[in-house]
Amino acid sequence: MSVVEGAIVYSNLLVLLSVGLTMTYITTGVPNFAQGSFAVFGSYISLSLLRLYEVHPYHTIPLAFVLGGFLGVGVYILVLRPLIRREASIVILMIATLALDLILLGIIGAYSDFLAGLTHRSATRFIFTPYDFNIAGISAILFTSTAVIAISILALFILLYKTKFGVALRASMENPDLAEVMGVNVEYTRLFSWFLSGALAAMAGTLLPFRQEIVPSTGAIIIVSIFAASIVGGLANINGALLGGYIIGFSESLLTYNLSTVFGTGVLLYSKVISLSVLVVMLILAPRGLTGINWRRVIWSKSSSP
Amino acid sequence: MEQIIITIALWFGLYTIVTLSLNLEYGFAGIPNFGRALAVLMGAVAVGGIVNRILIFAFGLSGDIIVASGQARTLANELIASNPVYGIGLFILCLAIAAILGAITGALFILPSAKLSEDYLAITLLAISEVAFMVCNYNTAIIGGYYGVSIPDVLAFVPGEKRMVVFTVITVLIALFVYLFIERLTHSPYGRLLKAMRENEDIVEAYGKNVMMLRIKTASIGAAIASLSGALYSLYSVNVIATSFSRVEWTFYPFLMILLGGVGNNRGVVVGTLTFVTAKILLTMYKHEITDFLHLPFEAVWLEYMMFGVLMYLILLYRPEGLLREKPIFTEPIKKVIGRKVKAAE
Repeated sequence: MSVVEGAIVYSNLLVLLSVGLTMTYITTGVPNFAQGSFAVFGSYISLSLLRLYEVHPYHTIPLAFVLGGFLGVGVYILVLRPLIRREASIVILMIATLALDLILLGIIGAYSDFLAGLTHRSATRFIFTPYDFNIAGISAILFTSTAVIAISILALFILLYKTKFGVALRASMENPDLAEVMGVNVEYTRLFSWFLSGALAAMAGTLLPFRQEIVPSTGAIIIVSIFAASIVGGLANINGALLGGYIIGFSESLLTYNLSTVFGTGVLLYSKVISLSVLVVMLILAPRGLTGINWRRVIWSKSSSP
Repeated sequence: MEQIIITIALWFGLYTIVTLSLNLEYGFAGIPNFGRALAVLMGAVAVGGIVNRILIFAFGLSGDIIVASGQARTLANELIASNPVYGIGLFILCLAIAAILGAITGALFILPSAKLSEDYLAITLLAISEVAFMVCNYNTAIIGGYYGVSIPDVLAFVPGEKRMVVFTVITVLIALFVYLFIERLTHSPYGRLLKAMRENEDIVEAYGKNVMMLRIKTASIGAAIASLSGALYSLYSVNVIATSFSRVEWTFYPFLMILLGGVGNNRGVVVGTLTFVTAKILLTMYKHEITDFLHLPFEAVWLEYMMFGVLMYLILLYRPEGLLREKPIFTEPIKKVIGRKVKAAE
């Protein structure tokens, strides 16, 4: 896989993860620290079907979508809703998602041992690259991940902008109180966003092993990039997640690669440092992200100043 | 049995230092420090990265940090065994450097909070800590990464079988000292100012206090204290392995302990720490028995994660104030005023 291909694949997956994170943040107001583990959950669905029934990982995408969605909804109903009903503060909700992340890590780790016992092959460390193939000289993962992201985003935008439910959804994202007064059931929109968040993350998880090695704690490693992507784009806007995902994905893989040709391969260790730096710089310059900047105002103040 | 009690006491000491520092920051000042592990890691960096290099330089050794620290340990151990003063001096040097490095890190680390709301701040602090952990873990040139570096045994003059007891006593004494220090610090106008800041920053600002300065001060005191724990842990285990300074062990578990004990209540935090540490050590000690007894088809560490995750959630849901509730702060002048009122009523 060439570097550019790798960068595109990685960015596609990061967009899937950060779109979900942003959606749940907008509707429920909680930054979900377990988003990375949602993805690893998807990876293990693919691994199980591959090891037990020899299903190619690409064919497990629909199942991962559905199961991931159930995980997302389950998390919202069982973990977050009871706390929100008790009017827990945002920090408490964040600690709850950290606890959830740890529980998921425990479950995934336990399952990996269980699966290893069943198949007599280690399941705590795996990669799917040997199962990938080439289409016209380009790796299939590039096509698959691009197709998945294109279909998901297209479907999401049709839903948001062309259906009645989408209008209600956008209304409750902009102003939940007003939407509620107008007869929108805000609870449905929350359930929907958690379903979608889990589903997109699990789909990203089925494809992630084609690019990097997966261990049960992979979630803790990728969460930095997911948050960086969402915040750089702007946590309050879904389009921001799209933008941020590509910015972080490309800077993490392409920038690091280019730096490594100058400074030597030692730089490759610092790919996460780059996403962190982008995140911190962004937070200092524009805490509300790229989509939070009032561009018209920026341009206007530039053109009017002498 | 004796072994278990000593292990619990040691970890109780190490964790109490961290939880008290986190309680100062989160419980009193309301800073959602999701990056506590960074300060603890800095304690390890101070010992494994800085003190080790000083020793390597002093002994005139060369080579990469991993090999040279091994040689430095042997030389230093001989020196300490011959004269305890060297050991005590080295011990104090390690703690001093750890505290200074921690204070600087804490002050720098909190700077993004100038512009950020609670949730963004928590994410940023977690991200900084996580990335620092990854760098220290994968870059073997700083503190040996996942290979680890050797640390001299500052108690090389103590006979081997007594070493653990002596070290545990020292750790618990330092924890006691930290407790008294923080108790004193928080039962003062400064402590009340911190609580005021936690409740409403704007009002504190309106009364002419600089909130940012207050946050920097608090974060740097907290980080300096927490890094003592990292240094002590490294000195105890006579090596530093970056992998052992993970987010779960040094950020999540400390949060669990203070929420269990009682946020904003130092005594409660100590109770919470003791409860948690006892449970954790017993779980670790008897993990083989537990796996056999329950016929678990997986390792006990996963069970530990699930159990402590669920415990945290149950605390948040059913007892967010913890075992011991937070109490109002009575400074000396206020105690006098109350005393007078009580007398007047009689």
